[in-house]
Amino acid sequence: MGLSEHDKIRELLALAAADALTSAEEEQVAEHVRSCPACSNELAAWLPIASELRRLPTPQPSSWLVHATLARAEAKLSEQAEHDWNRRVMICVVAFAWLLTIASWLVFHFVSERFGSLLEPQFGHAWISFAAFTALGWLAGGVAAVMLAVRQRGERRLA
Amino acid sequence: MAVDADVVQLRRGDLNALSELITRYQNRLYRYLLRMVRQPAEADDLFQQTWLRVVEKIGSFNPNRNFDAWLFTLARNLAIDHLRRIRPQSLDEPLADGRHSETVAERIPSKDHTPLDHALAAERRTEIIEAMSGLPVMYREVLTLRFEEEMKIEEIAQVTAVPLSTAKARLRRSLEQLRDALEAR
Repeated sequence: MGLSEHDKIRELLALAAADALTSAEEEQVAEHVRSCPACSNELAAWLPIASELRRLPTPQPSSWLVHATLARAEAKLSEQAEHDWNRRVMICVVAFAWLLTIASWLVFHFVSERFGSLLEPQFGHAWISFAAFTALGWLAGGVAAVMLAVRQRGERRLA
Repeated sequence: MAVDADVVQLRRGDLNALSELITRYQNRLYRYLLRMVRQPAEADDLFQQTWLRVVEKIGSFNPNRNFDAWLFTLARNLAIDHLRRIRPQSLDEPLADGRHSETVAERIPSKDHTPLDHALAAERRTEIIEAMSGLPVMYREVLTLRFEEEMKIEEIAQVTAVPLSTAKARLRRSLEQLRDALEAR
């Protein structure tokens, strides 16, 4: 076996002690070490270091730390669950509001078809008023949602 | 890979699952963070931050993936950010006075035979921990992941976000530097 092969194997010895070789590399190293006393000695020098590293004592977190972490993480989890719930409710409310708006437009259209001729010419104004009322309702809803969000964020920051 | 039931439950917001996971990983995670930052107070803070990050991000975690690697990646990112902010030099160079703060648990001897064996083993462990503390953070990290967390080289590559060949080279260099440091004592 040439020198380059020997050097290559030598570079693998630390990894062999760390059990970090592929099976092909392991075989290669084992075969070489059997016939090379220098590499055999080198591997023998690595093994106790690897063994000692595996047996280092485990520093443990204090029970106070574990309890404090659990409490903070649980609070965060609850806060997230509440946030998700609020978002779902908000989606439902908005969807319901849109449904109601569309339904009211249909009802209004139906009423205007039937009684429009009796109420002319004021009915054109009524359509505009209805559209304005709907837009105003949505605008008020939007402003209220933004104000609520700002207030909630402020409360969360204070907490 | 088996899907971890506690992880699945945590994704559904189960508080008991969170408690189970913290209990299961507390020692490993704390040890890893302590090896990374070396200061117990900083490790305490990062330990809490890691679990808060877990709660925050668990919704985006795929339960079919390796939770260990994901958890340690979160912890690593927090630790690296912390070191970059507090001690940027520690990311490149070993600290000359970088002594590991020994905890009570570390002073408890393992099953050795005689008081002399205990003393020698404890001394050797202290030497190794101190030598390890003097290594750059990327080498300390790879040593603790391989020998203490018993991660495979593929997992180490995943956690440290480097190619497999780099993870292997880093492990080899970390062992060589550790050996040099031990021999220099």
